[in-house]
Amino acid sequence: MKSMIHVRDLHKTFRVYRNHKGYLGALRNLFDRKYDLTHAVDGISFDIHPGELVGYIGPNGAGKSTTIKILTGLLVPSAGEVIANGHIPWKERKRYVRDIGAVFGQRTTLWWDLPLTDSLDLLRHIYQIPEDLYQSNFGLFREILALDHFINTPVRALSLGQRMRADLCAAFLHNPSLVFLDEPTIGLDVIAKQRIREFIQYINQERHTTILLTTHDISDIARLCERVMIIDHGRILFNGKLADLLETFGGRRLLNVEFAEEYPSPTLDGADIIYRNGVNIHYSFQRRSVSASALIRRLSENYRIKDLSVEDQPIEDTIREIYENRLLYYDTDDE
Amino acid sequence: MIHALRLLARMYRVQIRSQLQYPLSFIMDLLSSALILGFFFVAFALTLTRFESIGGWTLGEVAFIWGITEFSFGTMDMVFSGFDYDSFGPIIRKGQFDQLLLRPANITLQVLGSRFVIRRLGRMAEGLLIFLFGLSRIQLDWSLLKILYVPLLSISQILFFGSLFIIGATTTFWTMERLEILNIFTYGGAEVMSYPMHIFPRPIRMIFTYLVPSIFLSYFPAVYLLGKPDPLNAPAFISFLAPVIAMLMLWLALRFWRFGIRNYQSSGS
Amino acid sequence: MSPFLATIRTSFRRQLTYRAANISGLLTNLMFAFFRASVLIALFNEREAVNGLTVQGAVTYAGLTQTLIGYLSFFHWFDMMQTVYDGQIGADLLRPLNFFTYWLGIDIGRAFGALLIRSLPLFLVFALFYNITLPGSFLQWLAFILSIFFALLISFSWRFMVNLAAFWTPNALGIGRFVFGMSWTFSGFFLPLALFPRWLAQFARLTPFGAGVYIPIEIFLGLITGKELLQGILIQVFWIILLLLLDQWILSRGVRKLVIQGG
Repeated sequence: MKSMIHVRDLHKTFRVYRNHKGYLGALRNLFDRKYDLTHAVDGISFDIHPGELVGYIGPNGAGKSTTIKILTGLLVPSAGEVIANGHIPWKERKRYVRDIGAVFGQRTTLWWDLPLTDSLDLLRHIYQIPEDLYQSNFGLFREILALDHFINTPVRALSLGQRMRADLCAAFLHNPSLVFLDEPTIGLDVIAKQRIREFIQYINQERHTTILLTTHDISDIARLCERVMIIDHGRILFNGKLADLLETFGGRRLLNVEFAEEYPSPTLDGADIIYRNGVNIHYSFQRRSVSASALIRRLSENYRIKDLSVEDQPIEDTIREIYENRLLYYDTDDE
Repeated sequence: MIHALRLLARMYRVQIRSQLQYPLSFIMDLLSSALILGFFFVAFALTLTRFESIGGWTLGEVAFIWGITEFSFGTMDMVFSGFDYDSFGPIIRKGQFDQLLLRPANITLQVLGSRFVIRRLGRMAEGLLIFLFGLSRIQLDWSLLKILYVPLLSISQILFFGSLFIIGATTTFWTMERLEILNIFTYGGAEVMSYPMHIFPRPIRMIFTYLVPSIFLSYFPAVYLLGKPDPLNAPAFISFLAPVIAMLMLWLALRFWRFGIRNYQSSGS
Repeated sequence: MSPFLATIRTSFRRQLTYRAANISGLLTNLMFAFFRASVLIALFNEREAVNGLTVQGAVTYAGLTQTLIGYLSFFHWFDMMQTVYDGQIGADLLRPLNFFTYWLGIDIGRAFGALLIRSLPLFLVFALFYNITLPGSFLQWLAFILSIFFALLISFSWRFMVNLAAFWTPNALGIGRFVFGMSWTFSGFFLPLALFPRWLAQFARLTPFGAGVYIPIEIFLGLITGKELLQGILIQVFWIILLLLLDQWILSRGVRKLVIQGG
């Protein structure tokens, strides 16, 4: 199957200029520019296939936004190969951009002072969307995203949630084959996040739009993406199924116990105490090493238990562990 | 190409519509800009009648060149205001320039269409009135060439000033701040161009000849059109260089602009 | 140190940090000074003096007016109305500081900073290129310094009053541009009033801008002395008192409206 996005050995190095201090320094800056090199993207390769909804995660400064900028044609790489939707993004800008969409959580893609409906109408002409397609998409999105309430409001007067919905509508209006979503749920409340996730899922399933989702919200990934890529320090650490990731690196579970009385040191063989408050103690253990039932048996042999529960370690913690302990480089090109 | 122009017209229409939403403000702005600039000229005119001439040029002759320059500058300011720092600065600083790169439309066009300040019509009208006033006071032997050259001169001036705006906007890629020095050549240039330039001391004339070629877009064409003697003793053909210089400036400005965009794309601010 | 003085000092310091803006403003003003001086010289065309104004006086006038533009923030100031429109004024009114003196302090600090880093160097450089006249006596210098301080107060009170329109209308920006433009033209700041026809000059002198800004220039150029000089200063004082009172009154009405309506 031909890739929708093909990235080979991508590099982007930035010069970070060191500034001399003071008045004389300002003068020196003109002649003697010293700089350090930052490798924002340090040799990454991956393929994304048509119709996939892939998550792209990593800590701040990992190189996510640099990658997205290169993939959208905003930035020219230092080295490497990128073919997206059959184009080299930064080289064939106008032609490439015609068939992609983008949403940036931090800023809007629409015109600040124009009513939403004017913005969308302008986009219709810029993307040269045929009348009937525009009407059907506009009508559909208007309903799903509940835009009627603020369809005539200028974008600058919209709340964050409203603006995000507006941007989503704009991004998919012209039926792009490929869409980049950069932090589309940032700062939103639970209900708003849900609505947006549903929309993304709908589009991906109905229209087979390829979507690359960058986010800090791991639940977005958990709910939407089968496949996830993790980047840190400019390198891809993991590229594969989310389930596999959790299987391999996850596996920590929590055993939360409420004892009948306060025990001085209720240690448990095979588990670590990670939280303690009077009679409430939380243990953490590796699924692979010991089973929950074994631990419960051991506890009840030595202590009187009032109540307990078992849960999986939140995905966030798993991911954090992966960031913090630099794990093995996973190099799975395609399935 | 047609599509591009229609898109630009559409963007301008949207701008006009949103500015007309506050009709009172619009009328006041229109009147104020016309009145203020007009008053400036009226005061100067009243003063000049007392002195009879300046540098050997009469009030009518000064009004002639002053009017054309005002009209052109006002038109430019209306059309090219997307490149003005007040408009372009925020686009860069707020990171909205990326949005322009993500749309399947020419970048220059998008910047042009991002702003269209209709209250500049005030300045345009004021310039036109002053020009007509000047016409009424002078005796010109009109030839077909002269009649054609006046609008051509105005267009050249519009493109010339527009080039300065484009250059100013390009520097914003690097400095993020307004290049206030440029005001000397845009607003200052318009002022200098409204007078017979031989009244200015040599250093100033040199700046407006070799650094920014304003003199070719006002003084020399005016010398030809008005049939005035030229104390600077320049060859006659220089009067006709206005369109050439304007095109050259525009070409340079656009090259610089493209360079700025390319640089933006590789450094990724 | 009283809060008022502290405000002045902070604003002064802040103005000094705007190095790039001050230098480019300086250069722009300097160039315009050269332009205006050239026009005036060409106008005079070998004449010795017109209406009491000599060529040298006219040239000095060109330099002096450009010098004072930065210092007076010449009739272009919308800061206060911005705070009304973006709501910042709410926080400002809660502070234990007199609202008017707060803005006054900021403006005085800014003005003195601009005077130091922009006006003074500008005038000095201008003096290198042109033959200028200077006040003859110590008394004249004193009168000049007093009158430019008064000019600042008049300029501020006027600008503040125009900004007060924001309490009543969302169009204050347009109104401001309009009024400021008018003020600017009647201040005699681009052509000496001495060159105007009499009726126009008389009219301009009756306005606060004409009085506020033109009188210091007349003092500097020695155009008014003795009794007339004193008259000039008194006219300035009159305007200061009138504008200050108007400001206080309009401000209190405006704040009351704001509080009642809760904009």
